[in-house]
Amino acid sequence: MSAENYHQEEALGKAYDARLMKRLLTYLHPYKKQVALGVTLLLLASALQIAMVFLLKVGIDKYIASQDGPGLALIAGAFAAAILVGFFIEYAQLYLTTWLGQRVQDDLRMQIFRHVQNLHMGYFDRTPVGRIVTRLTNDVNALNEMFSSGVVTVIGDIFMLSLIVSAMLYLNWTLALITFAALPLLVGATLIFRAKVRDVYRIVRTKLAQLNAFMQEHITGMTIVQLFNREMPTFTKFDGINHDLRSAHFRSIYYYAFFFPAVEIIGAISAGLLLYYGGLKIYQSALTFGGLVAFLQLVEKFYRPIRDLSEKYNILQASMASSERIFKLLDTPPAITDQPEAMALSNVKGKIDFENVWFAYVENEWVLRDLSFSVNPGERVAIVGATGAGKTTVISLLFRFYEKQKGSIRIDGVDVAEVKINDLRSHLGLVLQDVFLFTGDFAGNVRLRNNDISDEAVRQALHRVGYDRFLQKEEKRIHTEVKERGATLSTGQKQLLSFARALAFNPQILILDEATSSIDTETEQLIQKALEELLKGRTSIIIAHRLSTIEKADKIIVLHHGQVREIGRHAELLKKRGIYFKLYEMQYKSQLPESKTETLEARTAS
Amino acid sequence: MVCVVLNNGLSMLIPYVFKLILDFIEQSAPSEILFEYILLSVVLAVVAGFFSFFTRRTIIWMSRKVEYGLRGELFAHLLKLTPSFYHNHRTGDIMARATNDLEAVRMMVGPGMMHMANTIVTLAVAVPLMIILSPKLTLYALIPIMLLPPVIAKFSNRVYRRSVRIQEEFSSLTAAAQENLSGVRVIRAYGQEKAETDNFAKMSHKYLSVNMDLAKVQALFMPLVTAAAALLNLVVLYFGGLEVMAGRISIGTLVAFFAYLSMMLWPLIAMGWVISLYQRGVASLERIDEVINTKPAVGDGVTAGYNGPMKGKIEFDHLDFAYNGKKILEKINLTINPGETIGLVGPTGSGKTTLVSLLPRLFPINRGQLFIDGVDINDWNLQALRRQIGYATQEPFLFSDSVRANIAFGSDDIIESRVLASSQAAALDKDVDSFPRGYSTLIGERGITLSGGQKQRTAIARAILVEPKILILDDATSAVDTQTEDEINQRIKKVLENRTAIIISHRVSAVKDADVIIYLKDGRIVEKGSHEELMALDGYYAELYRRQLLERELEVLA
Repeated sequence: MSAENYHQEEALGKAYDARLMKRLLTYLHPYKKQVALGVTLLLLASALQIAMVFLLKVGIDKYIASQDGPGLALIAGAFAAAILVGFFIEYAQLYLTTWLGQRVQDDLRMQIFRHVQNLHMGYFDRTPVGRIVTRLTNDVNALNEMFSSGVVTVIGDIFMLSLIVSAMLYLNWTLALITFAALPLLVGATLIFRAKVRDVYRIVRTKLAQLNAFMQEHITGMTIVQLFNREMPTFTKFDGINHDLRSAHFRSIYYYAFFFPAVEIIGAISAGLLLYYGGLKIYQSALTFGGLVAFLQLVEKFYRPIRDLSEKYNILQASMASSERIFKLLDTPPAITDQPEAMALSNVKGKIDFENVWFAYVENEWVLRDLSFSVNPGERVAIVGATGAGKTTVISLLFRFYEKQKGSIRIDGVDVAEVKINDLRSHLGLVLQDVFLFTGDFAGNVRLRNNDISDEAVRQALHRVGYDRFLQKEEKRIHTEVKERGATLSTGQKQLLSFARALAFNPQILILDEATSSIDTETEQLIQKALEELLKGRTSIIIAHRLSTIEKADKIIVLHHGQVREIGRHAELLKKRGIYFKLYEMQYKSQLPESKTETLEARTAS
Repeated sequence: MVCVVLNNGLSMLIPYVFKLILDFIEQSAPSEILFEYILLSVVLAVVAGFFSFFTRRTIIWMSRKVEYGLRGELFAHLLKLTPSFYHNHRTGDIMARATNDLEAVRMMVGPGMMHMANTIVTLAVAVPLMIILSPKLTLYALIPIMLLPPVIAKFSNRVYRRSVRIQEEFSSLTAAAQENLSGVRVIRAYGQEKAETDNFAKMSHKYLSVNMDLAKVQALFMPLVTAAAALLNLVVLYFGGLEVMAGRISIGTLVAFFAYLSMMLWPLIAMGWVISLYQRGVASLERIDEVINTKPAVGDGVTAGYNGPMKGKIEFDHLDFAYNGKKILEKINLTINPGETIGLVGPTGSGKTTLVSLLPRLFPINRGQLFIDGVDINDWNLQALRRQIGYATQEPFLFSDSVRANIAFGSDDIIESRVLASSQAAALDKDVDSFPRGYSTLIGERGITLSGGQKQRTAIARAILVEPKILILDDATSAVDTQTEDEINQRIKKVLENRTAIIISHRVSAVKDADVIIYLKDGRIVEKGSHEELMALDGYYAELYRRQLLERELEVLA
């Protein structure tokens, strides 16, 4: 369970919104037949229930009163048959409506998922992952009830109520009116209860979320709590929230404890009145005993849909809030899609051109200004620059995670904007600084979900990056489990796995964002070797952080405030005594042992 | 308990009054007496309702109190448990106990007990009354109705098991979505959107199918209840009808029976449900107890023991340490004098972190001894010990609170000047100044996300703020860029005056200036001395240093 689950947004908003409802109902269109069948079954079930009440009345009045034993048996038989048929109809109806709800849920979830796969990368920068996950999971679930019990049952309830009302009026209209008299009281009590409980429950939900988030966080950071002697203050804070939660619960108990007896008392008064007037009617022969029993049973059936009303209201409100959030996500336009006449891209040699490229994430805050550079096939290029110089943006534009505003980016002379996105990316490989690993096994992390890459190819790739030494320790070899985010693997291992991934996909062009964090020398050497293997025979652009990588580059591009300021090889750039020299002084030189830097400087300066 | 008896007892009297009313009607004209009977039934209902109010209030109230207490006890105990417990239990698992299991226990002591009591009293009052009315009809009616509780219990268990399956599938689905979104760059770069969608569709369908598995059982519930109620009507109608025909009971009695049975139906269903609640509650209580009964691996020395003040002398004496059966440290002999700075280097997995984590007594010592200021570490008051040690880790954990609160985490009150000073010493000040709300900026879940280097520096500031006698930096600047690292090294020098410090690092440059450098290999100290001494020794350290040097040199010349 992730922390996000505990930080759910509050379900607020309007209880009913015709526009949202209309849109929600469109999801039932593919299932018109099933909806119709569900409603039919429900109507049948309701009719059967009323029929049973009348069977009871006839049994008492006609057969018991007239001492007709065989007649009573006949009625009993009919009653038993009705029970059996009713059982199956009700079961079928419930199963069907659940199925409906689940199907719609599945459709909706897949629609959201597909939509999210095409969303603009910028959306993920702005929106926490947890929130999108909530749309896909909890919000869709909240709609389930609305589709399963909601739509079909509301129709059924209305039908059932009208049947009961007619039957009651038919049996005895005075008694019927007496029963209806209690209705405003009951509805009133329910409404008051609902309003009170909703407020308290909002507090309960918030406090519970807060409490669970607090616990989750402090369990995760328990060592820090203990190292800094924070046990007591932490407990005090925890106890405060726990206490608040308890108080909120106490308040809700009070309302519940009040509501249930109130309903019972209203029911009892209503029944008392019924008996009194019913008794009078029987005496006046305006009503039979059977009629009275039937009437009492109808009253009970009459209250049930009304009591459910508040629950239905809850479902409706929750579904409105959830659907509003879901539709908002679905209405976010997918940013970058293929142009109608997008071209295929094949046989890439690996020439890359950036020509007068301008780009801004936020309007008018240019990150790249008039950026131009070229990379020749097979060339190894290092991009260096201070934080915020626009290095990562260059990668994002090449992959078309974002669309440039001005200028052109070409691969082998073809503008990337005119190429099918999937084609484009199939020629590019990406290795990121923070290696992202998926739950699964080694093989799954190398081939991802591309089944064209065989186990043998996976083994080859792992072998070439020198992963064998880690593989040997594992019993299951390439099928060794990888935990969430590769939690059990060292930084070095993760790096190597991501290299193997890029190797297996065998792209003509490789983009690498070098990791900054330091690892022990032994692993460092392993990575350097693997990097050489990976870069062999490819065009590559490296956002470099390591001096060794920069020095081996065919060309160094110095980026400063979104512009190319210097291009050249290491020694050339140092001689220039420009930005690269300064950067080198500031950042990379400290990677060298001090005693050596002087001689180096002397050498390059001369 | 009195409330329960009165509530249900009085409720159960109402049908009896109905019988009296109906018998009265059958025999004579309506009169004042009829009205009085009716009034009686209403009064009974009101009084019963009154007690029902108190029943609910008392029992559910109590269950919330139990929940509150149990949750508090659980968390208080979690605060005492040592890292080894947390290594063996995932957070999700502990949270499941604190949420799902706790709720199951509450359901058992709250609604479970309430419904059980209601059912028992209802039966205790209704059955004798029914027997008075008609023993034969009572027998006929009770035989089918008594089948309800076991059937419902079984049913309820099955529903529960299938619901658990759904929960599991739901978690996988959530995890899959989470992973897909977190790895969105990789997925797009490698063109895996289609394959990811197919995979998610598979999981979504799986979720649908486990839901339908539940529906198969759950959809039985309402029809079952409806059928049971109808069946009772049938029994009473037929057998009762025969009794009426035979003149053994009145029609009023028959009507009263209808009323009794419909009143008993739900309590009996509830009883079945309670049986299953009880089974779940007991299992959950065991799981919670399992945590509460786990003894902390490190003894609690809160009140007892040596309090300091600490000078900062550390002595390892023939210390061995094994964890989960694996030997990690062996024969560690080391003396660090107050105010000294120690550099600790060695390959990954050589035991560096374990060695320093013994100082704040995060793990108990297996063999040998560790003294601080000449006092055995086990004789120190745990709080006093930890108060005087500052610790910054490679992968720091920060809380979703303000930057200020995180830096001042180790102190009882937040003193702005100390926060600023610590932040400066850790070279974090410039970063914080650029945040929208400075030191009040929230970090984590509901605030901004710090970079790895910023997190590490916050952790260093947090360790400095407590003004420790011993400061431990466990590879605490690995994600900090070299320029900033230099800055930290410069600024921290002042902090290190009069303090003992242990600095672990992969970069030789970070430990070169230490008073003593220790090279750890496979859990043993293989070299010890100053930079010059170790270079002269020409062993592992010298090799490490030369390798880092040589590498650069070769590359420069290339």
